[in-house]
Amino acid sequence: MSKAARDASVRARIAAQREAQRKQEQRRRLATIITIVVVVLAVIGGGWWYAAEQTKSETVAGGLAPVTVQSDGSVVMAKAGVTTPVLDIFEDPQCPVCKQLEEISGPTIKNLAAEGKVKVVYHPLTIFSQEPTRSNSLRAASALRCVPDGKQWLAFHDRLFKEQPSETVEGFKIDDLVKWGHDVGVTAPGFDSCVKDQTHKAAHEQFSTKTMADQQLQGTPTLKLNGATIDNNTIFVPSALRQEILNAAGAK
Amino acid sequence: MLTYEKAAPDRPRTEHPALPWVTTVARLVLAAVLIAAGGLKIGAPALSVQAVKAYQLLPDSLATAIGYGLPILEIVVGVLLAVGLLTRVSAVVAGLLMLAFVVGIASAWARGLRIDCGCFGGGGELSAGQDPNYFWEILRDFGLVIVAAWIVIRPPGRLAMDSALGLTGPREPYQPEGDIFQGEEPDA
Repeated sequence: MSKAARDASVRARIAAQREAQRKQEQRRRLATIITIVVVVLAVIGGGWWYAAEQTKSETVAGGLAPVTVQSDGSVVMAKAGVTTPVLDIFEDPQCPVCKQLEEISGPTIKNLAAEGKVKVVYHPLTIFSQEPTRSNSLRAASALRCVPDGKQWLAFHDRLFKEQPSETVEGFKIDDLVKWGHDVGVTAPGFDSCVKDQTHKAAHEQFSTKTMADQQLQGTPTLKLNGATIDNNTIFVPSALRQEILNAAGAK
Repeated sequence: MLTYEKAAPDRPRTEHPALPWVTTVARLVLAAVLIAAGGLKIGAPALSVQAVKAYQLLPDSLATAIGYGLPILEIVVGVLLAVGLLTRVSAVVAGLLMLAFVVGIASAWARGLRIDCGCFGGGGELSAGQDPNYFWEILRDFGLVIVAAWIVIRPPGRLAMDSALGLTGPREPYQPEGDIFQGEEPDA
């Protein structure tokens, strides 16, 4: 074999060897990448599922605890004799996050009150200073004060959150408010004119301003349990909120 | 032959030794922002959903899906960047996320919405008397797009799992000891 031919054969052998090495390396790299991608997708999928799971609402199974409208405009929902723990709910009918709270944790709050685990106090407020949100909120909150019956008040309150307008348009119009009131069964005489004249607007504004100052509220929704603000990571997770309240109820 | 070498970017072998460290720093900055943003949101998925809805850009069902998925996605991409795993892909995802945030915030600004960006938790709601910071939010996110772009161009930097696992592709072509053909390789 000539030197040239021998060189060529060595050259070919090394090239083949290198090629095989390269192929193997590529396969290994591909397997590693696929493994990582699968793990990453599983973690993201798992996290997504967990988030969806945490946000699941309860359903209002039984009846409601008795609801009574207070003279200052706040509203108490509690079984007879239940005075502690106290859950204060500060919310604005125009605030989207409050709507979210009502949708997600509202049923849990109602259930716990019905189970006699907590005394709930609703404080409808107006936190907005700009238009059209301020007037929207004022109309809705003033209309709420036109409902003296507790059960009807809560039904109207729930309907308002359901019908919440966008923050960029004029909403909670007088005619709509009157209609929704009738829809949910408000029977108070003078309800229509009370809503139309915004009879309780000044009283509501005063109550709202005073409450925000007294309670040192940073925004709505704020939930306080026995006077201490509950963390956002709790109030928007129904199971966590239930546990927090049950803990307070158990500790009394 | 050796076609796969062509796929790798033609890069001068004499790059400044500090450059890979710049990528490492970029990775850590982006990772820290993503992990913080995701971590602050992940505890209250409902708020995260609300923050997405506040932009009024997406139908509710899609906003809900994104609201649930975004925090975990941010955390996972952040962790991948921090350890330098799948660096280039992670940086592409991070860059696209930041770009989407820039578009979202700019659009909210243009439409005159008064919202909090919800970037680091919160339900997209401004507290009483608070004003939106759209300009700084956009500037910050745009800066992060550039940071992500740097990582995409020069992955994976030092201290990267990609390098440890050999996922970066053979940047230095494999040269067996005593290679008799040195000089014949196009890239040697």
